[in-house]
Amino acid sequence: MSNENIVKIENLIKRYDQAGVIALDGINLEIKKGEFVSIMGPSGSGKSTLLNMIGALDQADEGSIQVSGQNLMEKKDFSSFRSKEIGFIFQLHNLIPNLTASENVQIPMLQTNNSDEEMVKRATELLGSVNLGNRVDQVPTKLSGGERQRIAIARALVNHPNIILADEPTGALDSKMGDIILELLREIHEKENMTLILVTHEEYVAKKADRIISMMDGKITSENCTL
Amino acid sequence: MKFRSLIIKNIFRNKSRSILAIIGIAIGAAAILGLGLVTDSLASSTQQALTTGAADFSVLPSSFGGHGSGGGFGGGSGGGFGGSSAFNGSSGATFVSAGQTIDQSTLNSIQQMPGVETAAGVLRSATELNGTTQPLTLLGIDSQDLSLDDVQITNGSAFTSSNQIILGSTAATGLNKTIGDQLTFDNQTFIVVGIYETGDFMSDRGAILSLSTLQNLTNTTGVSQILVKASNGTSPTSLSSQITQNYTNLTTSTSLSGFNRMNNGIQIIESGSWAITLIALLVAGVMVVATMMKSVSDRTREIGVLKAVGWNKRRILALIIGESMILASIATVIGLIIGVGAVEVLISSHILNGIHIALSLNLVLEAVGVALFLGIVGGIYPAYRASRLAPTEALRYE
Ligand SMILES: Nc1ncnc2c1ncn2[C@@H]1O[C@H](COP(=O)(O)OP(=O)(O)OP(=O)(O)O)[C@@H](O)[C@H]1O
Ligand SMILES: [Mg+2]
Repeated sequence: MSNENIVKIENLIKRYDQAGVIALDGINLEIKKGEFVSIMGPSGSGKSTLLNMIGALDQADEGSIQVSGQNLMEKKDFSSFRSKEIGFIFQLHNLIPNLTASENVQIPMLQTNNSDEEMVKRATELLGSVNLGNRVDQVPTKLSGGERQRIAIARALVNHPNIILADEPTGALDSKMGDIILELLREIHEKENMTLILVTHEEYVAKKADRIISMMDGKITSENCTL
Repeated sequence: MKFRSLIIKNIFRNKSRSILAIIGIAIGAAAILGLGLVTDSLASSTQQALTTGAADFSVLPSSFGGHGSGGGFGGGSGGGFGGSSAFNGSSGATFVSAGQTIDQSTLNSIQQMPGVETAAGVLRSATELNGTTQPLTLLGIDSQDLSLDDVQITNGSAFTSSNQIILGSTAATGLNKTIGDQLTFDNQTFIVVGIYETGDFMSDRGAILSLSTLQNLTNTTGVSQILVKASNGTSPTSLSSQITQNYTNLTTSTSLSGFNRMNNGIQIIESGSWAITLIALLVAGVMVVATMMKSVSDRTREIGVLKAVGWNKRRILALIIGESMILASIATVIGLIIGVGAVEVLISSHILNGIHIALSLNLVLEAVGVALFLGIVGGIYPAYRASRLAPTEALRYE
């Protein structure tokens, strides 16, 4: 972990006007490069919304947010920012069912001008590192939930992102499989010095992080270092 | 993995949906090709029948004395003869002179005009067969000029001497005469050597003999009409107006009634086939849009993921339009095969007898172009919708 802030958020507000909901109500948050942060809180407290703001999937209404030096309040298309800086992992793996494991992993690389061989090589390498070296040409429908989530992890890593955003990645798995996924994420975080931001409901999962951020009604209620 | 393999994989993902779209577009392409083939072929067959040999226009005396009305050549329009005044009495010489005629020297000088390929004099008259009151129209023309008047000998041969005559198919049936039989009128006997058809019912009721024979019979030296064919590179219209300028006592008639009738027929077929084609296109277009819209909405969540992993709008547009283009291409190939196949079936079942099939590259390109156009245009709106999806909304989509 360095002292440089990779995420810097001030007074961030996000409203869903139609629903009259204030999903984020003045968030202030700094996350250091290489840090592992977990976000906890009850359902509807704004965890996913915050993660989507950091990943530039959606834009806030007020305040400021800087990620990897990018001002995300700008009105522009952030697809290349997402492509270079962010790796998303969702609760549901969201793999494309008719593509093989390898092809699913390659999907983000189609946007970044790689040769066919480079793409295949990178996908094979990553699937090997998540222990799926023998499932490269299998379609997701023939794989277990844990195996699918490992493919999704490989996909998130494929473009060498600086930040991994994981929204309840173990939520749909049994605890044993969840542990394996979690351990894998921690390993990657340590080895690659990636910043890992993980949303979870479960205390024991959250405790593996360097810091736990608790949310309630769109506000951060506490920031506890686990050490 | 290449981008294009992703596109192709996506097409085969929902096979029944893709097959429906392919059928829709294929029907469009087949309709364009099949109907186009039939109308083109009809038009070119007709054109061929009309232009080989047939005269471009005819030259007539500018006033017709008491002789019927109008009198175009090949006359579908009641032709200048057969007015009751033409038949006087029931005995003796019943010939009617051809009324006002064009003299031989005028015919000669028109034949010499630059731009005239052929100018053939024809004489028209009418008579009654000996011993009957059966009227018979007569046409005198040199045998080598028969084709100028659209005369096709279907049986036997043309006349070669002054006692030979050829009989129109309707007349032959009506008179119960065939080749080798004799025909007597004005106390002269002719041998029927051929049966002809012109496609014109009036002409098919008459008989044709050599010009000089008819001139002798009617005591005329002139002709009632000159059939003119312009040489290659000369416009028939300008040639005809030049003739009316040079000879103020002559008029020209370009209204080839037979041609007009056929032309009308072709136009009706063409507009009919256009109507069917437009409907087919509409069906195909709706099919493409509906398929791609369904495909996009089924994959809303997936499109959200593509955005989350960094795909830009352009790439998502390219994916969806690419899919609809490939769909359209596959459909086009199938449609072309169906279209050509359908026409082949029609030919082999003799429904299109007498039609010369003209499969042109243009027609194929037209069908391919329209189908691909459908593919692109039908894909644009769904692709635009997909590219505009808000990623968070798309990811929440169940
Ligand atoms: N697109 C939207 N339109 C309207 N309201 C929304 C939208 N997205 C989120 N919300 C609302 O914003 C609030 C925060 O939602 P968010 O998804 O961030 O919660 P969460 O903490 O991730 O909950 P969970 O643990 O159930 O995933 C909720 O009240 C939710 O209903
Ligand atoms: Mg959530």
